[in-house]
Amino acid sequence: MSKEVELDCMGEACPVPLIKCEKALEGMDVGDVLICQIDHSCAMKNVPEWAREQGHNVEIEEVDDGEWEVIIEKVK
Amino acid sequence: MKKFTDKIKSDPYYKAWLKEAWPYLTGAILLSVFQIVSLAAAGSPWGVSGTLANWGAWLYKLVGGSVDKWYYFASDAAQAKLAAGPLQDPGTLRNLGLIAGALFAVLIASGFKFKKIKTWKQIVAAVLGGLLMGYGARIAFGCNIGALYSGIASLSLSGWVYAAFLFLGAIVGSKLLVKYFM
Amino acid sequence: MGDQPQTANSEGGIRRSTRTRTRKKKKNQIPLGILAFLLIVAIGIILSLTVGNNVALFWLLGSVFGFILQRSRFCFTASMRDPYLTGGTNLTKAVLTAFAVTTIGFAAIKYGAFTRGLPIPGQSYVVPISLATAVGAFMFGIGMVIAGGCASGTLMRVGEGFGMQILSLFFFIVGSLLGAAHFGWWKLNFIVRGPSVFLPDVFGWVGAVIVQLFIIALLWIAADKWAKRKNVSDGH
Repeated sequence: MSKEVELDCMGEACPVPLIKCEKALEGMDVGDVLICQIDHSCAMKNVPEWAREQGHNVEIEEVDDGEWEVIIEKVK
Repeated sequence: MKKFTDKIKSDPYYKAWLKEAWPYLTGAILLSVFQIVSLAAAGSPWGVSGTLANWGAWLYKLVGGSVDKWYYFASDAAQAKLAAGPLQDPGTLRNLGLIAGALFAVLIASGFKFKKIKTWKQIVAAVLGGLLMGYGARIAFGCNIGALYSGIASLSLSGWVYAAFLFLGAIVGSKLLVKYFM
Repeated sequence: MGDQPQTANSEGGIRRSTRTRTRKKKKNQIPLGILAFLLIVAIGIILSLTVGNNVALFWLLGSVFGFILQRSRFCFTASMRDPYLTGGTNLTKAVLTAFAVTTIGFAAIKYGAFTRGLPIPGQSYVVPISLATAVGAFMFGIGMVIAGGCASGTLMRVGEGFGMQILSLFFFIVGSLLGAAHFGWWKLNFIVRGPSVFLPDVFGWVGAVIVQLFIIALLWIAADKWAKRKNVSDGH
């Protein structure tokens, strides 16, 4: 059974959300899903871009004005 | 109004131009275009941090200080600029415009949110980072815009020297950030 | 064709647990955005009528820069920080592209003035190189990474509503004042002996542009290879 991890990056400035995601993904297994909550508009662009470049599946959901969830499925 | 904005929200051009983030390359080209406009129309490239020293002088005056004897503000031009006040200072209006333009950009994308400071670490990082940037920019003739971007584009060797040491500083800053500020 | 009905999850979607979080109803900020636009234009007009065309031009240029920076999430800090920190160089390459394009435009304007015997505009940005350049840039590099934004980035994030950057802007101003207070010492001991090098004086106009574009191209290739190398080594 794959697990789902929530990561609270609200109020964090770049590059903290990306580093936190990187660390969280390291400790996860293939198939696990990481949900990163962010409210930094730059992280909303660079976290998904970075994750896609790493080869993971990525979706972005706009949760509220200026708040997003970046959903990353670990692929490798 | 509601119907109108609902229609805007689902419009593909609105989404591509005003809602979703542009590619970095689009930003690079447009910034270049308006840098060139700045030099051609205003006679001067874009700069940001020199103006912040003037803001400092005005704030210092508000609390009773005086910079009249300082070497940095000693020239007649600097004195005249300080005497004329913020409203007459083009650089001040450009910096305020930058804040306004960014605010407009997030509002039109329906993405504005006030983000409170969350931890003590952020306070220390903001204070220390701000002081280092302010001091560094003054002695090195500018920030990433005036000394780096405009410097290099003005075919000045100083821009490249600035870039090299900026890069070294960014590496040290990254190490500090990971170790102490997150 | 494009008129076929789209399924809600056309990408296949990542499976995630259905959570019962109550979500706030999204407010619509577009009317405020339109209001902000009208205010920017109105302030521009008022400035040009009361203070002068020059400040109005600077106000509008600033607004445009802020708009472009925010829309493209352009970040000079990340361009210098990410190659080391995350191995990403997308912004580094974009900044190098901006350097190249702006160099061409600036050189054309400067050369045009030079050949007509007019004063070359923007030469105050060709500044002396000394220990102060190195120390100042190094300090700036540390500061922008820990504060989460350089000068333009900090102003942009103030507009976006970041409390942290409002604080760092204030201390940026304080730091500027301290730097200005010590400027005489740096000038007397270092800056005064530093050379100002305008590349066309060394390589000629065409030579300077070619040399600079060549260096930018080399850095661009290095940045591109760096990102690819980093990704390969991460993939073990």
